[in-house]
Amino acid sequence: MNYVALKMLFGDRAKYLMLLAGLTFSTMLIVQQGSIFWGLMTWSQSGITNVNAPVWVADSNINQVEEIKPLADTAVTVVRSVPGVEWALPLYKGVQRARLPNGNYEQIALVGIDSSTLIGRPYTVLEGKIEDLRSPEAVAIDQLGVERLGGPKNIHLGTTFEINDHRVRVVALIKTQKSFQNFPFVYTTYERALSVTPEERRKLSYVLAGPVSGVSPEELARRIHEQTGMGAFTEEQFGWKTVRWILKNTGIGVNFGTTVLLGFIVGMAIAGQTFYLFTVENLPQFGALKAIGASTGMLARMILLQSFTVGCIGYGVGVGLATLFGLTAGSGGRLPFKETWPLLVGVAVALLLICSVSSAISIRKLAKLEPAIVFRG
Amino acid sequence: MVFRRLSFWLALAGLLLTIATLWGARGKPPPPPPMEAPPQNPYPVTVAAAGIIEAVNENVRIAPPVPGLVTKVHVKVADHVEQGDPLVQLDDRDLRAQLRTKTDSLPSAAARIAEEEIRLRDLQDQLKRLQSVTDRRAVSKDDVQRKWHEAEGAKRALIRARADLHLAQTERDEVQALINRLTVRAPRAGTILQVNVRAGEYAPVNAIEPLILLGDTETLQVRADIDEVNAPLVVPGSPAVAYLKGFTDKAIPLTFDRIEPYIVPKRSLTGENRERVDTRVLQVIYRFEKPAFSVYVGQQVDVYIERSSNPVGPKGESWVDSASHRNPVDDTPEGKEQ
Repeated sequence: MNYVALKMLFGDRAKYLMLLAGLTFSTMLIVQQGSIFWGLMTWSQSGITNVNAPVWVADSNINQVEEIKPLADTAVTVVRSVPGVEWALPLYKGVQRARLPNGNYEQIALVGIDSSTLIGRPYTVLEGKIEDLRSPEAVAIDQLGVERLGGPKNIHLGTTFEINDHRVRVVALIKTQKSFQNFPFVYTTYERALSVTPEERRKLSYVLAGPVSGVSPEELARRIHEQTGMGAFTEEQFGWKTVRWILKNTGIGVNFGTTVLLGFIVGMAIAGQTFYLFTVENLPQFGALKAIGASTGMLARMILLQSFTVGCIGYGVGVGLATLFGLTAGSGGRLPFKETWPLLVGVAVALLLICSVSSAISIRKLAKLEPAIVFRG
Repeated sequence: MVFRRLSFWLALAGLLLTIATLWGARGKPPPPPPMEAPPQNPYPVTVAAAGIIEAVNENVRIAPPVPGLVTKVHVKVADHVEQGDPLVQLDDRDLRAQLRTKTDSLPSAAARIAEEEIRLRDLQDQLKRLQSVTDRRAVSKDDVQRKWHEAEGAKRALIRARADLHLAQTERDEVQALINRLTVRAPRAGTILQVNVRAGEYAPVNAIEPLILLGDTETLQVRADIDEVNAPLVVPGSPAVAYLKGFTDKAIPLTFDRIEPYIVPKRSLTGENRERVDTRVLQVIYRFEKPAFSVYVGQQVDVYIERSSNPVGPKGESWVDSASHRNPVDDTPEGKEQ
């Protein structure tokens, strides 16, 4: 019976193609838009993920990572006094202006990390040694910075430029996750970050903390918040806080949500309509099957098999096309494109829903089918 | 059927490609290990503080007694000086000129004494001679009387001449004392930590940086700044350790000395020339034995002070409970201004 169902499906080439195209492009649209959305969210968290510290301590009313309210210098020792803290170190973070020898200037995201431990430094160092940050005037610059400040020809190890009229020298090239604001990341030590930034009453942006073994970051963040009153978040909590803020305060969520919904609706419309037509066209065959004794349930199984088969194939092709798009258009981090497992599972569920709904319409038609239709011809 | 196979393989390829891509980008690499171990808390519960190493008995900021031109600096940095050793010589040419005048007036005063002595002796001789004449008609009583007065006057003049000499000597001594004062001397034994003056410079009295910083680098102490919100947690006598910045594998054990009774505005230890006051701190003084590695006066340290596990807050409740739901860093008066 299943063989007959599949034979029916693949037999009508035009309808099959139409069905497949509808489902494929629907899948591709949802996956692609969802991935770009998630890519943007990843970029928005890059201020956190690039530093990769277990616990972030900031003002308790902080909304997101780029919205900094500096703390008093003694916050570091206050955090260190909380039981369960293995270490706590200062972090400077802020947007500053870099000026090049040729007069061009660029906004940069300056990150000042603790000079002795260099905790908060990036994963990947492309060129140079990150330890050299301890030498005078030293900074490390990311691949975006190299591109923005004049390309690898002008920016290489040993190049000097100015941050707020302070001369700095590139000692390392690093790889970072691009940020939402698209400012290049420049790393230096905390002390140097303080000295090259304009005078402010407070400059300590964040306190980074690590738990002793046996204490989870979540537990540590809770303790720090309870004992000091400052806001303490794990890396993940802080990332989600930032994402929530962006969804609430920008149109990004609505924008992408609408596109994804449209993809879903269009997919469902095309698939439902085509499938219905397909069923209607094949009514005599179904009638004949019913006439020779096939129950409605069996016919429903056939329809479902057909719809899920074409759904699965459409899903595979659509996802593959979306990945191909991400690999080509988004290569080198130019485009915020990030596929995730939850997104793929979600799309699969959505596709199953599309298939189920469109087959439900057809099954309803079949249930009311009189076997006599075959003879009415 | 070819068609079916093609679409099937296409779907499979797409799915595999996606899985492979996702698998390749899965997870995060573990965070890079710290270059050096961060300063670690050696006690179960602790009060952390930022500390600075200073000389015991604090450092002496040597200042000149009067503003003046520096003609000679007798010491250089790291010299060891005993009490009374000369440190800086101020310009004393004007006083030396005065001294010469005063000294030169001494022989004149001394000569005047001799003069007066001779006159007195002469007058006394004459008086004696007149008195020895017994014939009343030869010498009138009036002559004798007048000579006697003259001799008495000469006696007083001699006393005055002696007093004049003494005054001239005192004046000379005064100038000498003023000259001596222009040599700035060490008030106590110690090591020269800083020399901020060179010969030829003018030394004002209220300079921002002292002429010379004198300290005792043999025994050092740590001044630990504790945020005022943590001040109630510090129990006098608690053991503590300090770590030099960037040298976290070797702890310096500290012994409690005292708690400064007055809470002071914290001075930023970032080394900037302008000090920023952001909160107030309790200062606790700890002493330590000189460790095997070198430590220097003025070096910053991270200090960890042990505290008893269940400290009692001001209202008799555990500090942890009483301190919840408030932001200590913003409770400072400065914080409210913003």
